Amino acid sequence: MQNFRDALMAVVTAGNPQANHASSQRAGPRTAAPQSGFAPWKNPSLSPIVRFEGITKRFDDFVAVNDVTLDIYEKEFFALLGPSGCGKSTLLRMLAGFERPTQGKTIVAGQDITDLPPYQRPVNMMFQSYALFPHMTVEGNIGFGLRQEGMPKNKIAERVDEAMSMLELRQFAKRKPNQLSGGQQQRVALARAIAKKPRIVLLDEPLGALDKKLRQQAQFELMRIQETTGTTFIIVTHDQEEAMTVASRIAVMEKGVLVQVATPGDIYENPKTRYIAGFIGDVNIFEGTVAAIGDGCIEINAKDGYQFKTRSSEPVTVGQQVWLALRPEKIRIAHEQPASAINAIPGKVEDIGYLGSISHYHVRTAPGERITALRANAAHTVERPISWEDSVWLDWPVDAGVVLTG
Amino acid sequence: MSAKANGLGRWYVIAAPYLWLLIFFLIPFFIVFKLSLSDVATAIPPYTPTFSWSEGIGKFISQLDFENYTFIFGDPLYVNAYLSSLKIALISTFLTLLVAYPMAYGMARAPKSWQPTLMMLVILPFWTSFLIRIYAWIAILKPEGFLSIFLIKLGIISEPLQIMNTTTAVYIGIVYSYLPFMILPLYASLEKINPSLLEAAQDLGSRPWRAFWQVTFPLSLPGVFAGCLLVFIPAVGEFVIPDLLGGSDTLMIGKTLWNEFFNNRDWPLASAVAVLLLLVLIIPIVIFQRQQEKVREAGR
Repeated sequence: MQNFRDALMAVVTAGNPQANHASSQRAGPRTAAPQSGFAPWKNPSLSPIVRFEGITKRFDDFVAVNDVTLDIYEKEFFALLGPSGCGKSTLLRMLAGFERPTQGKTIVAGQDITDLPPYQRPVNMMFQSYALFPHMTVEGNIGFGLRQEGMPKNKIAERVDEAMSMLELRQFAKRKPNQLSGGQQQRVALARAIAKKPRIVLLDEPLGALDKKLRQQAQFELMRIQETTGTTFIIVTHDQEEAMTVASRIAVMEKGVLVQVATPGDIYENPKTRYIAGFIGDVNIFEGTVAAIGDGCIEINAKDGYQFKTRSSEPVTVGQQVWLALRPEKIRIAHEQPASAINAIPGKVEDIGYLGSISHYHVRTAPGERITALRANAAHTVERPISWEDSVWLDWPVDAGVVLTG
Repeated sequence: MSAKANGLGRWYVIAAPYLWLLIFFLIPFFIVFKLSLSDVATAIPPYTPTFSWSEGIGKFISQLDFENYTFIFGDPLYVNAYLSSLKIALISTFLTLLVAYPMAYGMARAPKSWQPTLMMLVILPFWTSFLIRIYAWIAILKPEGFLSIFLIKLGIISEPLQIMNTTTAVYIGIVYSYLPFMILPLYASLEKINPSLLEAAQDLGSRPWRAFWQVTFPLSLPGVFAGCLLVFIPAVGEFVIPDLLGGSDTLMIGKTLWNEFFNNRDWPLASAVAVLLLLVLIIPIVIFQRQQEKVREAGR
């Protein structure tokens, strides 16, 4: 298990947050739909566990959340992703019941809960600050929710013990929160949120206070807990790698509006806008106009004189302004001029970012554009075949890029 | 060289409060203690023995005894005065807590921009002399005072209230006078509580009232302890309020002490009463210290 985790982590740290590993990992152990992978949002016969219907939240003149309609399905690990102030936390707090929407309805499992107070909702939240009760022990904190239900004492002890063993907290049972490390506190907060076995667990930037290494461990822990409990998790995060790692689907928010809701793979490979393309992973963007349309491909006259050919399903017209988004790992970098002249640009290596497993090459083209290409350091050698100031050629196949219209 | 100078500087800083305590607390205390072991005399000063170099320290000490203490324990007047003081102080501390808690809670929950103003309003009464404020209560509480007139006008009562010169008036006076000493520590501890703790409690199914008793109140206990002590300790020895507002049946040790000093001119007995009062008050102070230690250990 440990090796498996390390291997997974190596992929993440490689700076290539290709969501494949997350989603394929995800698809395996699911019992819901083992053949087709886990994709309840594609199944029209399923009704969502959470439905936001036209949710708007205004604070005075500031619109924090603007007309959000969103379905989240049972057993999903759903991520709300966006920069701070984009409204993602407000949306989560409205689901928890701490904020009331100015407009719209929140429906959980078919029941309209818009007007229910927090203590009557079938959701439990893990807070960004953990919000552990400082005057209670770890046990006391985890059992707090169960005590509110008036559950018999031995039953509470059983459930608390179950949650503690799931998160390896048994030896800390009698400690107070301030006697725990940050990582341990984070696990107590998670244990407390799952102890009541709620239908939905909300996580508000749950790993924000942890350092990078610990955060990655905690991400896999979250996924493990989510899978073993079969609970719906909704996580709010501004960390795109975190969202890519844990989520079955991601909703990207910008200024209170949902920009795109899709699987991590889709978001990465087919971002809807330049904003999303830039927010998730590295990207090279060329501005240009459509020159010709034919047989599933379009030709683009880039602003700085290049001509690109790329596959596109986007409905465009000749002369329309478009942007071509290219992920660095899809660009080939070589000394020799490629055989085909399609999508090939010469340039000079300006900078190399050596990350061990991969290297980033920043190439300056003749018109002055800076393009990043990525290459795995496959050979076991310290010398790199491509060095600073080398003249190189960049090229990519027609299906490597994404055409964006906004 | 400079390390040595630093060490000396630190020593001075540490010495300052101890010197202060020595000069203004310990030495006066020993003078009072010595007085309490003396006997009353018709002289100036009104006690004996007085120390003189010619007779030597041995003779001086041999004349001191614990007679006054045995007298105090033998006379139910003093024992009753102590017990009654403790009772009045306990009840009024509890009443002050009941009045102060909602006020402090309201302050802590008020918008941040209001809080300095509210704090100002709490300490505003200190700008007027304590005595004048107590006299003002006489004007309010006396049978022909504002309170009775007001309530009669409203038709709530038909006869004037007989509160003045009763223990009830003493309670009102103590609660009123010591309210800020209760509010301020309570506010300080309530204001520190992270609001997301209450959200967490509600999120886990706790109704607001239960969340208060399970989270807010336990976390405000350090403030409750501090406030109760700040009210209880001076209230036990309170003299002005029972003297001005209380009646002849209001028995408090502060008043007894005053009578011994100024009416009976029995300084040694009055000193013994004062020393015993101090001993009685040390108990809650020690409890408080223990509590503080616990809070410190908990790191909050």
